[in-house]
Amino acid sequence: MSAQENHDMTQTDIALLLADAADEAEIGMAPVQAVIRGGRRRRARRWALAAVTTLVVAGSTGVLAVTGLPDGGHADRRTDVAVRPVPAEARHVYQPESTDLARGTYQGKEWRVSVDVWGAPRTEAEANRQFDAMAELGVKPADVRRPADLIGKVSYFASRGWGENRPQQVMFDTVEKFEQYSGTDLQAVATRLGYGGESSGRLVIGMVSKSARQVTCHWKDGTTALAEPTEGFSAQDTGSAIRTVDGFKGGNWFVCTAPAGTSYGSAEVTK
Amino acid sequence: MGDRKQARDAEFQSFMVGRWPRLMRTAFLLTGEQHAAEDLVQSTLERVFVAWRRVGSADDPEAYVRRVMINAHARRHRRRLKEFLAPKDDSGLVREVADTGDRIAQADDRSALLTALARLPVRQREAVVLRYWEDLTETQTAEAMGCSVGTVKSNAAKGIAKLRAVPGLADMVTHGGRK
Repeated sequence: MSAQENHDMTQTDIALLLADAADEAEIGMAPVQAVIRGGRRRRARRWALAAVTTLVVAGSTGVLAVTGLPDGGHADRRTDVAVRPVPAEARHVYQPESTDLARGTYQGKEWRVSVDVWGAPRTEAEANRQFDAMAELGVKPADVRRPADLIGKVSYFASRGWGENRPQQVMFDTVEKFEQYSGTDLQAVATRLGYGGESSGRLVIGMVSKSARQVTCHWKDGTTALAEPTEGFSAQDTGSAIRTVDGFKGGNWFVCTAPAGTSYGSAEVTK
Repeated sequence: MGDRKQARDAEFQSFMVGRWPRLMRTAFLLTGEQHAAEDLVQSTLERVFVAWRRVGSADDPEAYVRRVMINAHARRHRRRLKEFLAPKDDSGLVREVADTGDRIAQADDRSALLTALARLPVRQREAVVLRYWEDLTETQTAEAMGCSVGTVKSNAAKGIAKLRAVPGLADMVTHGGRK
């Protein structure tokens, strides 16, 4: 048998293995109505976004035109007002805005979840300094190979920590614009409370729209946890909450925690 | 006007019902997880619905759907929301650990392949799934991934090489541990 024949045979085998693994998917009924409803919501959102964009652009033009009128249109003066620079420090380029999402105790040590939001550097010098500041904190931005990749982009990191262990970044991204969450949009990830496998899937962290009033997390044993808008921390905290994160403009964040012995099933916006 | 809209909706429904099983299987291989696969297919089809007037009358609506799904998958991957299937042992994200008992060998085989797939870089995984599960040509795969044929070739070759190097998978192939 030639090397080529052997090569083809192996690829055929992999195709068969893929077909076999694909059979593992539970197909179920196609959720036609849900997709059509979702499609209509997307279309409406797109229109709404287009309308808002038009409004902002029109508004800016109006302001510039008016400020130019009284003394005969001194364009240079108008520009001075419009582009007053905001220092990098005030834009949180070198130090992120940090918000605690949840905390609790697991196996005698404190666990905590926080979100850091870094402002967008505007120059290479700012990007270099931000890159170094991130490295000092032990976070690594997504798809950034060199500091210049950070220019014009905001970065966020949701991290979890347990005891004295170094916090671990769980959800993070570096983007030109925050993705906007609306309606019942939800993105979530399930992780651990501690660092061993026994608490796998007991901590759920995610993002929802600013209008979401309740997130229901379903655990594998059939029980649920409710996360609702919360401010501050108290002894009555359940470990589940929806919170506004400073500097994060795409939506709010939530955390759910599962009791011992069960783990994540699914999560949805219920109010 | 209303009749035309109804006809378009009916056409979309028929398209969706027909393609759902195949899209689910492809998404399952891409994401490695049932809920993530459903989510990916559903959000893909929502986007397709929004553009259905244009897509439905196109020569190859399938190609458009594939492109949307691969884009959505890549976007999610970039966000590091890996649909609960962690690529590395130390990431702390939830993943299913395959049982090693040989009585459920077939389930293990599937699990081993899904785990191996999940560990491939996203572009390699997409190239492997589209070429060897969807059975697309290199040109069709390049269209779906929005890249050159050369990039497809290189990603598929690297992906396949990594899968071949997984010891469990090599055994499965050698011993015919599947249907």
